[in-house]
Amino acid sequence: MLHMICCVKQVPDPETPASQFKVDEATKKVLPVPGIQPVPDEYAILGVEAALRIRDAVGEAKITILTLGPEAARDAVKHALAMGADEGVQLTDAAFENGDSFATARALAAAIKKLEPFDLVLCGRQAPDWDVGVTPSIVADILSLPCITRASNVKVSDGTLQVERVLSDGFETVEASLPAVVTVSNELGEPRYPQLKQIMAAAKKQVSVWSAGDLGVDSSQLGAAGSLLSLDRLYVPVQDVKCEFIEGETPEESAEKLAAKLREEKLI
Amino acid sequence: MAPSVQFPGNVFFYLIFVSALVFFAYSAYVRIYLLLLGKPDLRLDRLWERIVSFVPLVLVIWRVIRPRYWYSGVLHLAIFWGFMTFQLNTINFFLEGFSDDLSFMSWASAPWLAYFPVMQAFEILTLIGVVMALARREIYKPPRLSLNWDARIILGFIGILMITDLFAVAFQIAIEPFSHSERAFFSNAMAETFKGTDVDVLKAWHTTFWYAHLLDFLLFLNFLPYSKHLHIFTAAPNVFFRRLQPTGVLQPIPNLEEQEVFGVGRIQDYTWKQLLDGYTCTECGRCQEACPAYNTGKELSPKEISHQLRQQLLVNASDLLPVPVLNINVTGERGVPLTEAMGFNPIWDCVTCGACQYECPVFIEHIQAIMDVRRYLVMDEARMPETAQATLMQLEQRGHPWRGTPLGRTSWIEEMGDVPMFDGSQEYLFWVGCTGALSERNVLTTKAIVRLLNQAGVSYGVLGAEEGCCGDPARRLGNEYLFMLQAQQNIELFNTKGVKKIIASCPHGFNTFKNEYPQFDGHFEVIHHADLFAQLVKQGTLKPQEALAQKITYHDSCYLGRHNNLYDSPRRIVAGLPGAEAVEMPRTGAQSFCCGAGGGHMWVEENPGKRINQERTEEATATGAQIVATACPFCLQMFEDGIGAVPEAAEREIKVYDVAELLDMSVAPASAVPEAAKADPPQGQSEEPVQQ
Ligand code: SF4
Ligand code: SF4
Repeated sequence: MLHMICCVKQVPDPETPASQFKVDEATKKVLPVPGIQPVPDEYAILGVEAALRIRDAVGEAKITILTLGPEAARDAVKHALAMGADEGVQLTDAAFENGDSFATARALAAAIKKLEPFDLVLCGRQAPDWDVGVTPSIVADILSLPCITRASNVKVSDGTLQVERVLSDGFETVEASLPAVVTVSNELGEPRYPQLKQIMAAAKKQVSVWSAGDLGVDSSQLGAAGSLLSLDRLYVPVQDVKCEFIEGETPEESAEKLAAKLREEKLI
Repeated sequence: MAPSVQFPGNVFFYLIFVSALVFFAYSAYVRIYLLLLGKPDLRLDRLWERIVSFVPLVLVIWRVIRPRYWYSGVLHLAIFWGFMTFQLNTINFFLEGFSDDLSFMSWASAPWLAYFPVMQAFEILTLIGVVMALARREIYKPPRLSLNWDARIILGFIGILMITDLFAVAFQIAIEPFSHSERAFFSNAMAETFKGTDVDVLKAWHTTFWYAHLLDFLLFLNFLPYSKHLHIFTAAPNVFFRRLQPTGVLQPIPNLEEQEVFGVGRIQDYTWKQLLDGYTCTECGRCQEACPAYNTGKELSPKEISHQLRQQLLVNASDLLPVPVLNINVTGERGVPLTEAMGFNPIWDCVTCGACQYECPVFIEHIQAIMDVRRYLVMDEARMPETAQATLMQLEQRGHPWRGTPLGRTSWIEEMGDVPMFDGSQEYLFWVGCTGALSERNVLTTKAIVRLLNQAGVSYGVLGAEEGCCGDPARRLGNEYLFMLQAQQNIELFNTKGVKKIIASCPHGFNTFKNEYPQFDGHFEVIHHADLFAQLVKQGTLKPQEALAQKITYHDSCYLGRHNNLYDSPRRIVAGLPGAEAVEMPRTGAQSFCCGAGGGHMWVEENPGKRINQERTEEATATGAQIVATACPFCLQMFEDGIGAVPEAAEREIKVYDVAELLDMSVAPASAVPEAAKADPPQGQSEEPVQQ
C-alpha cells in the first residue's frame, strides 16, 4: 500500500496585523501577540490535501503526518488528521529547539527513515515563519531522493510520480520514480474542510511522540547545536512613507511641477 | 326524506359511504404515519398562550387577513367561516341519510330551525368567497400563486357542495314544505320558482342533487389529503404547535457529539413539526414575495422549500412505509438526496432574514428547515461555497471572521486609551464584537458608543484581547459544533468574570446572547446599544444638542427588528436629533428588506443575481434621505458598499451611520464630526421626490 508522509508545522499567524507584530531584538525572538494563536502552515496543509487527493485517486493509501515542534504544535497534526490522514508523529525534544533548516532536516529525515517503507514525502513549499523554503530539499538530499518543488498537481500511477510544477511563466510537468520528496504550492487549490465526524475521530487519535533519542541522531547534529546558520539580528524594518500633494491651477501646471519634483529626486 | 333510506338508495349510500371512509382512513394513515417518522419535538411550552392565541390566529385567521392581502383575507374569511358553519349541516346530512329519526329536525327542531337562516347566509357567503378566489386565480393571477388545477378542483368541490345543498333543500320544500321552511330563505325563494312542476320531476331533481351533494362531499374529503388544501386540516394544529421563541433562534442539536448524522440529510430526519409544515403550506407565495434572495434573482424560494418538504416526504413514502402508497398530485423526484431536492444554491442563498416566516399565514418555519440542510452540507459532507469554507476555517483558527484585517482586537483601545476593562465590578460588559473591533469602518461606531457610555456615566467594561466570537457566524454557516464550542467558552468566561448584563452593539451577537445562550445554560441580561441610548436620551442623561438638519432614513436590521421586535428605540434616537427629518422606506419595520448580510452572508459570496444590498440602497436612495441610519455593523457595511454601486446614491454622496454615531455627533459636538454629515444637503436635493 502506498505510504505517504506529510510534514506539517504550526506557525505564528501570518495574518497577525502588522501593527501588533513585535520582536524582541535582545533575545532575537518574535513575541507572541496576546489573543492571536499560532496556526497550521497553509502550504503544508496543501501537502496533506495533495496526499488525500492521491489517496482518493488510487483508492488505498496510508498517510502519516509528521511534525517537529513543542506540545502546541500538535494542533497542526490534529487538523491534518481531521482532514483524513491516518497517523500522526510529533518530534518533541529540547534538543530540536532553535534549529535552522539543516538541523531540522536532519531530524525530519531520521524520522522519515524510521517510518520506512514510504513512497512519497509531501511538504509545503515554504513556511510563512522564516520563509526559507529549503528544508524539504535538504531532507531529500539526506535521504538521497529526488526532490520536486512547487507542485501544483501531484499524481501517482503505476509506481511513478507525475508532478506539475509552477514556473514563473507557466507550468511544467515532470516525472520521477518513487520514493521522492515533493513540495506543494498554493496553485494546488483549496484544502478540504474536515467533516465533523473526522474532527471528532481525530480528537481521539493518539499522536506518537518521538524524542531525539528515538531517532538515533546525535544531539550535536540537532537544534541550535547542529545549525549552520546563526541569527545576527532580528528587527522590524522601518518603512517610511511620505506623501506629498502636487498642487496646480491646471493639470498641465501640476504635471510640470510633478516632473520637476521627480527630476529633483533623481527618479526620472 | 333522504333518498338513501329506502332500497336501492340505501345500498348505494352505505356502499359509497363506507368505501369513502375506508379510503380516507387509508390516506390519513399514510400521512400520519409519515409524520410520526419525524424526530420528536415537544411543542407544549407556554400552553396558555397557545390556547389564547388560537382565537385570533386560527378562528379569525389574523395572519391571512393582513391589509396588504385584504382581498385574500376577505375571501378566506368567507370560505372558512362559511365552511365551518356548514359542517353542522353535513352532520345532519349523514344522520338523515341513515334514518329520518336521527336527523336534527326530528329531535332538536327548534335550534335546527334557528340555525337554518344562518347556514343559508353562510352558504351564500362561501359561494361569494369561491367566486372571489376563482376571479383572483383566473383574472388577476398574482405571480406569487401556483396556478394549478389543484385549486380549481378544490374551489369547484366547495362551490358545488353549497349549490347542491341549496338546490336539494329547495326541491325538498317544493315537494313538501316542512314547518318554518321559509327560514331556509334562499332555498325557499328558489322553491317558489319551481311551483307547478310535476312532483315526480321534483323528486327526481331532489334525488339528483342529494346524491350530487353526497358524492361531492365524499370526493372532496378524499381529494384533500392529496392536495395542498390539506391545510384545511393541518393549519390549526400547525399554528397551535408553532415555535413561540423569537424567529431568530436556531435550535441546538441535542447530544451533538453522539450523533451519527449532523443536520438533515434525509426527509425523515426533520422533526414531525417540520414535516407538518410541509403538509400545511398553502402555496400562497407570500413568503416568496418577501424573500430578499428570491427578489434579487437567486434560486431560493422559501415557498419551494416548504413545497419540497411535502413533495419529498410523499414521493419517498413507499420507501418509508410498510404499505403501498398511492401517489397522486406529487411532483417531486424520488430517491434523490434531500440536498439535491432542496438545491445546493438555494440552501446557501438564505440570509436568515425571517421575512418569509413573518409573512407566512400558517407559521411555517423556513429558516430552521433551510439551516438543517446547511448543517448537513457543512458538518456531514463538508460541502459549501468556497467563501463559506474560508470563513469557517478563519473562525476556527483565528476566532473571528475577518480575514486579513489590519487591526487587532485591542487596536481601537490603544487608539482611544483609557477604556475600562471588565473586572466584575462594573454593571455592564460592553461586548464590542468582531466587527466592531476588527473592521476599520465599524471601529468608528465602537468609539462613538464608548464616548456616549462615558458621557452618560454608564458603568461598563470591555474584554479586550479576551473577547472571542459570539458564534453567530459559525451557527448560521451551519457549523453547529463550532458554535457550541464558542458559546460554551464565552459562557464560561462570562461566568468567571461575573458578567450579569451585556451591552451588544451587533444585533447578531445580541440575538445569540439573548436567545441562544440559554440553550447552553448561559443566562444574561442583554441590551442593544440603541435601546440603552434611547433610554438615556429619554431620561435626559444624554442630550442631543448639535443640529443634524438632514433627511434620515432608518433601516431595520433583521436581527433587531423582525427577530427581536426592536423597532422603536433606534427611531427614537433619530427623531430626537435636533433638526433631523426622519423618512421611512416603503419596506419598513416588520416588513423591512434585509441588507444582504445575515446568515453568514457578510462573508459569503452572493450567487449570481442582483445584489441584495444594491436593491436596498436603491430603496433608501429613493426616499430622498441624505443619511441612512442603521444599528448593525453588517448593515452599515452593506450600505457603504451599496452606495458605491448605486449611481444616484454615489452622486448624492449619501452617508451611512450607526444611530450611535449620529447621537454621538449631536451629543458631543467636541468630537470629530464628519464633514459630510454636517454639510448642507447638496443642491437640488430638495427637488428629489420624497417617498414616504
Ligand atoms: S429567511 Fe429571508 S432569505 Fe431566507 S428564505 Fe426566508 S425570506 Fe428568504
Ligand atoms: S410557506 Fe407559508 S407563506 Fe410560503 S407559500 Fe407556504 S403557506 Fe404561503
